[in-house]
Amino acid sequence: MGCASSKRSKQLHGYEDPSVLAAETPFTVSEVESLEELYKKLSNSIIADGLIHKEEFHLALFKNRNQRNLFADRVFDLFDLKHNGVIDFGEFVRSLGIFHPNAPVADKIAFAFKLYDLRQTGFIEREELKEMVLALLHESELVLSEDIVEMIVDKTFSEADTKGDGKIDLEEWKAFVSKYPSLIKNMTLPYLKDISIAFPSFVVLPEIDDSDVSVSVNGD
Amino acid sequence: MQRITIPEILQDEWFKKGYKPPVFEEKDDTNLDDVEAVFKDSEEHHVMEKRKEEEQQPTTMNAFELISMSKGLNLENLFDAEQGFKRETRFTSKCPANEIIHKIEAAAKPLGFDVHKKNYKMRLESSKAGRKGNLNVATEIFQMAPSLHMVELRKAKGDTLEFHKFYKNLSTCLEDVVWKTEEDMKEVK
Repeated sequence: MGCASSKRSKQLHGYEDPSVLAAETPFTVSEVESLEELYKKLSNSIIADGLIHKEEFHLALFKNRNQRNLFADRVFDLFDLKHNGVIDFGEFVRSLGIFHPNAPVADKIAFAFKLYDLRQTGFIEREELKEMVLALLHESELVLSEDIVEMIVDKTFSEADTKGDGKIDLEEWKAFVSKYPSLIKNMTLPYLKDISIAFPSFVVLPEIDDSDVSVSVNGD
Repeated sequence: MQRITIPEILQDEWFKKGYKPPVFEEKDDTNLDDVEAVFKDSEEHHVMEKRKEEEQQPTTMNAFELISMSKGLNLENLFDAEQGFKRETRFTSKCPANEIIHKIEAAAKPLGFDVHKKNYKMRLESSKAGRKGNLNVATEIFQMAPSLHMVELRKAKGDTLEFHKFYKNLSTCLEDVVWKTEEDMKEVK
């Protein structure tokens, strides 16, 4: 044990051993350690409690702690696995894992579906799609007439809702994404593969076990 | 007997077996399947049957594609602004799609780019070699509404900084085409 690990667990809520998190996500141990550095920065930016609050999330994404955004809210809610209003380190790493280039595409597709299922009914309803389109237009300060918005929503919805029941279920969503793979483009962050370069964790030294050291025979 | 020369080796059958000439390794994270399909021309590469009937018009922008442009859904911002230049950019335009194509072509050619067009997709290839090979840009036009289009420019090959410079040059020539740039669109109040 020693003082190093107990000190860390005080600073990082939801702290789990990097090897545990590495085993359950596409991250390597050193990538998890790099994420610790990023997490410390984000989770102490406004309230120095080692937890990511919504304001801190907004600050990180928009450089504006008061920015309200429908989509950021959805992402925050999905990251907050325990639904206690804050994102702890374990939740942070596990959720970001889905965005890793090596994460299974099925996980990305499922995450996107949950994101867009605003009221968590298990379906993406037409009203939800319209609400999201309007939110995006508002965010981008693009003004389109009601008719045009309806047309955009209609075209997409009718193509995705192959069963014609007024809502998109996970099965229809999967088929739709395989037709238009770029729909989940933002579910992959290539940067995560280089994260150990951006956030080197010099302080933490991996413990070397004697069994890890291999001795070569015959100078091979 | 003379030693065989390199050009002779390259011609030799023995050497050619299984030989793959070196290619610039591109960590290409952008999905260009649909653009590639248009230019490859073989039936098996045509992504969707639907595209054929839409050949006369630009593709209508998918509502989910539109939504995915939100700043709240692009988490790379969590990792700090100093992340380097983006590999793709967009702008909206109120000009007709054909006009946009012509204007981009007219702007890109003097900058030293060869232009390949098909339907409403274009490939701009730099004739000058850059830091990471020749800069290669893919553009696509989507229709958001009858008089509103979204133009997407993606770096397909080459150096990202050069792409950024190219776009800056291009946008000064496209001032009368561009309605809102990505900066305008993502400006947060």
